[in-house]
Amino acid sequence: MEIIMSILAGILFTTGVYNLLQKQLLRIVIGTALISHGAHLFILTMGKLKRGAPPILEYGVSEYTDPLPQALILTSIVISFGVTSFLLVLAYRASKENNTDNMDQMRGTENE
Amino acid sequence: MSNLAVLPIVIPLISGILLALLHKKIQLVRVLAQLFTGINLVVAIYIMYVVQKNGSIILESGGWDAPYSIVLVADLLSILLVVTTNIVALACVFYAPKSLSKQQEEFYFYTFFFMLISGVSGAFLTGDLFNLFVFFEVLLMASYALIVLGGGKVQLRESIKYVLINLFSSMLFVTTIAFLYSVVGTVNMAQIAQRVQEVDQKGILTTIAILLFFVFGTKAALFPLYYWLPKPYIVPNPVISALFGALLTKVGIYAILRVFTLIFVHDTDFTHNFFIWIAGFTLIFGAIGALSTNNIKLVISYNIIPAVGFMIMGIGLYNEAALSGTIYYLVHDMIIKAALFLLVGSVAYLAGTSDLRKIKGLIHHYPLLGWLFFLSAFVLAGIPPFSGFIGKLLLLQGGLQNDEVVIVIIALLSSLLILLSMIRIFVRGFWGEKDESIRVDKKAARAFTMPIVFLLFFSVLLGVGAELFYPMIENIAAYLLNPELYIESVLKE
Amino acid sequence: MLYAVLIPLLIACFIPYLSKFKDKIHTGIFVLFVPLSIFIYFLQFIDTNFVPVAQGYSWIPSLNISLDFYLDGLSLLFVLLISGIGTLVTLYSIFYLHKSERLGHFYVYLLMFMTAMLGVVLSDNVFVLYTFWELTSISSFLLIGYWHYRERSRYGALKSMLITVFGGLSMLGGFILLTIITGSTSIQEMISQTDVILNSPYLPLVMTFIFLGAFTKSAQFPFHIWLPDAMEAPTPVSAYLHSATMVKAGIYLIARFSPVFSAYEWFFIIVSGIGIITLCWGSYMAVRQTDLKGILAFSTISQLGMIMTMLGFGTKAAAFAAVFHILNHATFKGSLFMVAGIIDHETGSRDIRKLGGLMTLMPISATLALFGTFSMAGVPLPFLNGFYSKEMFFDVSLDLSSTSLFIAEIMKTSIPYLAVLGSIFTFVYSMYLFFGTFTGEKHLDELPSKPHEAPIGMLISPALLIVGVIIIGLIPNLVNEPLLAHAAKAISGEEVHKHIAFWHGFEAPLYMSLIVVIFGSILYIFRKKWTDIYLLIPGTLSLNKVYDRILDGSEKYSRKITNSYMDGSLRKYIALIMIATVLVTFTTMLTTDGFTIKTDDLAKVTVSEILIASVMVAAALGTIFARNNVAAILILGVVGFGLSVLFVLYRAPDLALTQLVVETITVALFLLCFYHLPNLRPRTESFKTKSVNAIIAISFGALMTMVAISAHSSKWFGAISEYFIENSYELGGGANMVNVILVDFRGIDTLFEIVVLGIAAFGIYAMIKLRSDKGVE
Repeated sequence: MEIIMSILAGILFTTGVYNLLQKQLLRIVIGTALISHGAHLFILTMGKLKRGAPPILEYGVSEYTDPLPQALILTSIVISFGVTSFLLVLAYRASKENNTDNMDQMRGTENE
Repeated sequence: MSNLAVLPIVIPLISGILLALLHKKIQLVRVLAQLFTGINLVVAIYIMYVVQKNGSIILESGGWDAPYSIVLVADLLSILLVVTTNIVALACVFYAPKSLSKQQEEFYFYTFFFMLISGVSGAFLTGDLFNLFVFFEVLLMASYALIVLGGGKVQLRESIKYVLINLFSSMLFVTTIAFLYSVVGTVNMAQIAQRVQEVDQKGILTTIAILLFFVFGTKAALFPLYYWLPKPYIVPNPVISALFGALLTKVGIYAILRVFTLIFVHDTDFTHNFFIWIAGFTLIFGAIGALSTNNIKLVISYNIIPAVGFMIMGIGLYNEAALSGTIYYLVHDMIIKAALFLLVGSVAYLAGTSDLRKIKGLIHHYPLLGWLFFLSAFVLAGIPPFSGFIGKLLLLQGGLQNDEVVIVIIALLSSLLILLSMIRIFVRGFWGEKDESIRVDKKAARAFTMPIVFLLFFSVLLGVGAELFYPMIENIAAYLLNPELYIESVLKE
Repeated sequence: MLYAVLIPLLIACFIPYLSKFKDKIHTGIFVLFVPLSIFIYFLQFIDTNFVPVAQGYSWIPSLNISLDFYLDGLSLLFVLLISGIGTLVTLYSIFYLHKSERLGHFYVYLLMFMTAMLGVVLSDNVFVLYTFWELTSISSFLLIGYWHYRERSRYGALKSMLITVFGGLSMLGGFILLTIITGSTSIQEMISQTDVILNSPYLPLVMTFIFLGAFTKSAQFPFHIWLPDAMEAPTPVSAYLHSATMVKAGIYLIARFSPVFSAYEWFFIIVSGIGIITLCWGSYMAVRQTDLKGILAFSTISQLGMIMTMLGFGTKAAAFAAVFHILNHATFKGSLFMVAGIIDHETGSRDIRKLGGLMTLMPISATLALFGTFSMAGVPLPFLNGFYSKEMFFDVSLDLSSTSLFIAEIMKTSIPYLAVLGSIFTFVYSMYLFFGTFTGEKHLDELPSKPHEAPIGMLISPALLIVGVIIIGLIPNLVNEPLLAHAAKAISGEEVHKHIAFWHGFEAPLYMSLIVVIFGSILYIFRKKWTDIYLLIPGTLSLNKVYDRILDGSEKYSRKITNSYMDGSLRKYIALIMIATVLVTFTTMLTTDGFTIKTDDLAKVTVSEILIASVMVAAALGTIFARNNVAAILILGVVGFGLSVLFVLYRAPDLALTQLVVETITVALFLLCFYHLPNLRPRTESFKTKSVNAIIAISFGALMTMVAISAHSSKWFGAISEYFIENSYELGGGANMVNVILVDFRGIDTLFEIVVLGIAAFGIYAMIKLRSDKGVE
């Protein structure tokens, strides 16, 4: 299953990167979201999958899933959320100010 | 005593929060910001003194033993960089009121500023790879907020590129940490280093190392990853450019320096030789970039790249002289880049344009500014007896000790190109006939100059007074070459 | 000696203050005492029994950089030239520069330069020498660009700086190599380790590096091009820097290191080869010049070439001849520059075509020039010092030891002929310089101002120099033993005793001199007939153009290169970054044998998971093909929710919950922000762009998957999580291990994660509220 999950995460990266290479801002932002999903899935997979119970202590259970990756993912999800929200507002403002949502038209010149 | 190590992170954090609450009382905020930055600098210097006397300070957060908790490691390298960061911060915080609009100040400039300092200090001090990611995010988030602050069309447009590329590399960073965790089962840097040493087969480790190098290389703006840097760095206010130019790429370089002297030293023939190649291209393309433009701000911005090239060259050479050179250069570059961004910012403000073709004869109006620029050109190009020279000398020595003649020649040539790119501005912009058409604002010029003089004082001191610093830096280089010291101090074995 | 070196710099600090009184007292008067006292101080060292003096002060001992000064005969000669000519130049400048000029600047630069030069010739530490060396470049940049409102001054200043700094950097490379080879930073120590250096495989590189420094500074072919343009400097500067001091720094360097390198066969070939070419080219080009200072500039180039040639010979006699000529050249060239300055000052022109017949109007200047030019031409008269050293040059050129290298043999035979050839041209331009200016028709109407003799003050300095020319000519052995012999010894490493005499009998050098005079006179008289040759050589192919092209090219091509990829296109940046990452990481994985896959110890594959995975894949692909904003955002939501289901299946309840909440808010935010934006358009990109994107994306995804599988198959260590599992309840006081880790074991992460959110919130607020155009909304 870990291999399949690695492939799934790889596909999320692939689609994310593909979107990132597009011109339209919305697609680019969607791309970043896909990549962060992929990253989180990778972290989870790197701890072993489905070994033991959820990491909440219960009487009589001795096998638990690795809790550390989960903690890391949690931190990362929250951070991604913050960055994505910021990016969304930035994208909105940038495209309004520049009157386009096409990154190709946002190249700029040397002296402005 | 060991709680000291957290102060450079916590003081700016609390200052930032406090100033967010007071944000409307701008006069008070300014004074407090200057005061807090000053206090932070004094504290950092005190910690450096303690570290030098008693050795590294290890703070195991929450009282849990390393490697299970997050450790903060204030060794000489980290604390030296924290001190330098605060020197830059102090200059910037005094420059800010003259340069920013009142609204920008009111809209939390000082909060973002302190968060940036907090994040940068945290990145220098942490001994935990995932925590490094978190501090990277803190400083990046603060930088995102700063780069868009009060911005118009151009600024927003360039910010988006900046944010996207950094966001991508952050995601790659966190993924790479996961890969590394899978192999060595820990995120504590000392323990990772210990475990990497223990395995005989390198297997996937070198690949992960290279991936991590690309993550940090993107932040550090190395060839071929630096495209995002030049333009976005010049669109915000000069004081923000100065902070970025001085601190952000250097955090990337610091991360490479730390990781590739502490953890991934198992295959230096491959990894570090690769760095030398990267250094060569970074030097060449960066210097070419600096020559390619008439925008004086962009010239400085491009000049970040060859400087980073010098530093990565030292890491690649991986001997004592070269590593000392890298560290010396790192400190030197943080200071001079801040000074230069403030300088060109002032010049562009006073001349009303940053297009070199439209500026002439400024020295008639602003002689002091002109001579400061002249001085900083030589500091940047590594002409003795200023700070750039000592670092460059050590790097070249390190290069020739390793028989790497080609990189040494490239380094020398790019020094010449750097000098050309700078002196061109002096010759065309400052020399020449007096331009009667510009409105002279001597008062603003004087206000701008103070923080610049403050920074350049350190540049000169680092060169002329090299004896005060070099023994310490040599110690750091020797310490980096012996990762056991770090591992033992953290894991206490 | 430290004080001697640093005093000019220290005094320079007071100049800006002193220059405030320039209306009452010319600032130069304060300055005058500086070189004068240094000169008098060092005069006491002139002694037949002089022994070298060493003094050291520590500076950066841990880098072996210390202010070690070493005064031997060679240094002494240069110190005396620097301070002596310095005194005369300062005196001259008091009358040359009007009080309305920015005198403060001028004298600060001049004193800076003096310190730099004294430092270069006195330093024993290579890095200190380099420091002063660059300071000479910097101060001369400022001096040449003194009248920086002139385009030509700026051009000349930049040119001299670039070429000499280029040489300086190269020299630094050579010095570092020498310190690595010998383990010392002291020149004297290096000289004592000559064997080690000569046996080093780096010898050719060291020599190239160091000689590049010397040749650029001393304006040797093909680096001489900066010197003629440096004539834009005020004339006192030209007299000082470009005849007596700065350009001789390169000569000094070669002389200083000749004990180390002269045993190496290529030393002769390179130094004498470049020297003789420079001699001929410089004197040839000088004839063509029309600007008085231009003639003198090329003349200086050729004379430096001559000294360089002699240094390359490496014989005792040649070393002596070289130092003798260094002294002589400083006297006559210094005075000639000053006379040129006088003419410029009094007539307002330096164009020799407009001058002429000035003899009667400026008799004293004319007399001075007569001695100067004839000495320079090497006219065989017993009261002209130039003749003695020129004849010595001929003499030593005939007396070269044999070598094994073929090319050296060729050079040995040809050098005497070339020496004569160069000297013929020297004779021609010297005559032209004198007769063209002072005899013939007057063109007074073409001159900006009516010429008359210069004020007496301006004439003192050149007159004193000419007195020097005559004294050395009449009593050539005056400074022989006490000064020159010591200097020559420092170069050749052995005792050199030579008696200088006017008459040597009918021998080869005399015939050579006669040939020079005869052919020189013929060529001078018929010069109008043959000067068309300059259209052929150099014709349009001039080295200046090469320099200009390099400089312009550096801008043009760097712009072209940089603009070719730095075009502001985000897609390009990201694509390039990814391509580099993928290529290098793949290569690493292949070459280090990084890819491994282990299929034991895996979790079981279940249908439900496969199903969810398939849905996620479909949704992820769907985001690429969606045409509608809302649809794309919702499909993205599907991926997110799929992920939270996976979290549930993989026993991560906290994650699942968080993901669910975050995903919901994110989707809402997405919709909010993009609702008002134009819809996703059908892609207009070409098939090529699409496929490139696809290849990059797929290879990147594949790379991540491969690294992930390998990493998962290389679990060499137990995770530290065991500790958390065991201790979270007893020590952390919580049953939910993830929570305990977050708030306790790794509390800092969580604290700063919240900080990130906080900054984001403030950032968004500021972004929405504060707008550049409208102010606060």
